[in-house]
Amino acid sequence: MSRRMLSRIGSGLTVVALATTTVACTKKSDTTDAEAGGREPAQVKVALVPGGSHPYFQPWKDAGAKAKTELALGDVTFNETAGWDQTKQNDVLKSLAAQGYNAFGVFGVSPDNINSTFEDLKRQGFPVGSLASCPAGANKADFCLSTDVEVAAYKGAKAAIDAMGGQGNLVHLTGNKVDSNTQRRIAGVEKAVAETGGKVTLLQSVTDIDKDLQSAQRAVADLLAAKGRQIQAIVNTAYNPAVASAEGVRQSKLPIKVIAIDDDPTVLDGLRGGSVAATVLQNPVGQAQVGSYALMKLSGGCTMAEPGVTIDSGSFVVTTDNLDGYEADRTSTTEALRKKFDGDLLKCS
Amino acid sequence: MKTETAPEAPAVPPAAEPRPPARALPVWANPRLGLLIVIAVLVVLFSSLTPAFLDPRLTLAPLQADISVYVVVGLAQLAVLSLGHMNMAVGRMAALSTFAMGLAYDRLGVPLLVGLLVGLAVGAGIGALAGLLIAKTGVNSFVVTLALDFGLLGLVTILYTWATGGVSFAVQPSGLSALRFDTFADYCMGEVCGPRIPLVVPIAVAAALGVGLLFRHARLGREILMTGSNTVAAELSGIPTHRRVVAAHALSGLLAALAGFLLAANNGAFSANIGESFLLPSFLAPVLGGTLLAGGAVSVLGTALGATLTQVIYKGLNLLQFSLEELKLYIGLVLLAALSLDRLRAVLAERRAVSSS
Repeated sequence: MSRRMLSRIGSGLTVVALATTTVACTKKSDTTDAEAGGREPAQVKVALVPGGSHPYFQPWKDAGAKAKTELALGDVTFNETAGWDQTKQNDVLKSLAAQGYNAFGVFGVSPDNINSTFEDLKRQGFPVGSLASCPAGANKADFCLSTDVEVAAYKGAKAAIDAMGGQGNLVHLTGNKVDSNTQRRIAGVEKAVAETGGKVTLLQSVTDIDKDLQSAQRAVADLLAAKGRQIQAIVNTAYNPAVASAEGVRQSKLPIKVIAIDDDPTVLDGLRGGSVAATVLQNPVGQAQVGSYALMKLSGGCTMAEPGVTIDSGSFVVTTDNLDGYEADRTSTTEALRKKFDGDLLKCS
Repeated sequence: MKTETAPEAPAVPPAAEPRPPARALPVWANPRLGLLIVIAVLVVLFSSLTPAFLDPRLTLAPLQADISVYVVVGLAQLAVLSLGHMNMAVGRMAALSTFAMGLAYDRLGVPLLVGLLVGLAVGAGIGALAGLLIAKTGVNSFVVTLALDFGLLGLVTILYTWATGGVSFAVQPSGLSALRFDTFADYCMGEVCGPRIPLVVPIAVAAALGVGLLFRHARLGREILMTGSNTVAAELSGIPTHRRVVAAHALSGLLAALAGFLLAANNGAFSANIGESFLLPSFLAPVLGGTLLAGGAVSVLGTALGATLTQVIYKGLNLLQFSLEELKLYIGLVLLAALSLDRLRAVLAERRAVSSS
């Protein structure tokens, strides 16, 4: 028999086998969400998985380690190898599950399709918390513990408006335009500007400049060269533009008030040196600590009173006046969040 | 199935002195066998370091699904490497095609298969356009497809913003969830259930069989290889080389679209970021498998093994919880070691062939 004939027969048999398998077989049963629960704290292994490497998530490492000790958890790991790729993040999560991690706190790379990943994890009986960012649309994780980005952007814009004396031109620098969270940040800034009754004009919302520091620096340099003298304040709702605008304004010596985000050392130095008027802090430590606590409770058999509920993890405006005391505010907010989970959000029999 | 294919050499006139009969290379000199051994060694190594590597549900099934995507991605690049061309837009062709699929599911409510066919047609169309530009203008395929990649990057974002207001279709066509979650173990005939192989795997196998048969047995495939091997000679032999260039690029676009569909099925969403990570693996799999960058010879089985090797390395290192920097470093080192071992094996085989002739 010729090789050609053998190839043809082989291909034909493959097609027949596939057709038989898919048509003649019956499905065993429809898989439904496996129930999480019944695990002692020592059996709970929490994985905290950001979308990729970013300074914002670094406090998750220590907060996770602290939660492990305080809550006597089996383990808490921090894995930032997703590289801002949803496919890779899915792979990382599956690998962690294979290694025995059974509770997941995830910052989804893509808010628009992270829900599929959450459903996937929940089908396997793992409790899941969406940390630091909520999915677009209905949240399919057990809960979302995140900064209310619209409120944080509103607070930042209000701080900018105060710093510029209540009138003038404001510019907003932010991240990926097609991210639903960016749209909410833009809405928050627009709301604060609208409240001034026309005294403050939002000159421009510059998007897509949080990919890396270089692109943010280039965008800030272009902005200052083109409109620097018309701008009274810049409000940042993303990390790289915040660092770039603080540096750019300092170098250009223009009288522009910069409102930054987060408490990276560069931002805090800018605040102390005067190149940053204020910064809006988020609560990454609280997200990791309280998120791990809630995941432990869910693993132990508690359920969410309202599945998929969104909880604001808090945002704080910090100026030179409260630079030394903001950490205490953040700690008390974290404590309050934990009590809220115990009191209102969790149902434990 | 060994599918390495090269154009048959033209008949050589009898030489004055009879040549000694050519000795066949030993079995171990087969590059596919080399890759298979490296994969086997890595599987044993990773399984002994972390037993989770053999977890059928959480490791092996997802690994097979990932391999399926990257085999088809590799085949998409192989289709044009057969000409000695490149397709730098392989990822963006996948993105545009999956957009078309998502739009068809979302707006027209078409069944899964119809949407897939729509996407495949778009992929083949955009690939054919690239091929036409290359054939008609004579501009290097690298330049044409790179420019196309830039253009499609913008177009895909604009289209998703227009159609979804975001970066993803929320629609879940019927059957997508089965493709994503089910394995043949979920389907039984009486008491006998299938193996734990994800449903997407046969799609990739069918694509590999199709491409293998095309280049091995079909006239079209042989003529594409002949065009890649020597365009002038092919033209003088009466092969319509321009049309073969268009056909190879159309096939590349079609396979990119299929890879996009498989990734969308694995991820559970038709989104703009599909294909972003396709470019490097698209070259890695065929080149590791012995496909020549210069054109004229392809290896489908080698491409499948190349894709398997890279995914096994990635999965193994991931399971061992390497940090981000270590992960990149060790993936590079392991690939370098695999390539060096393969080269060493080839050199040893050549020496042995020379010394024994």
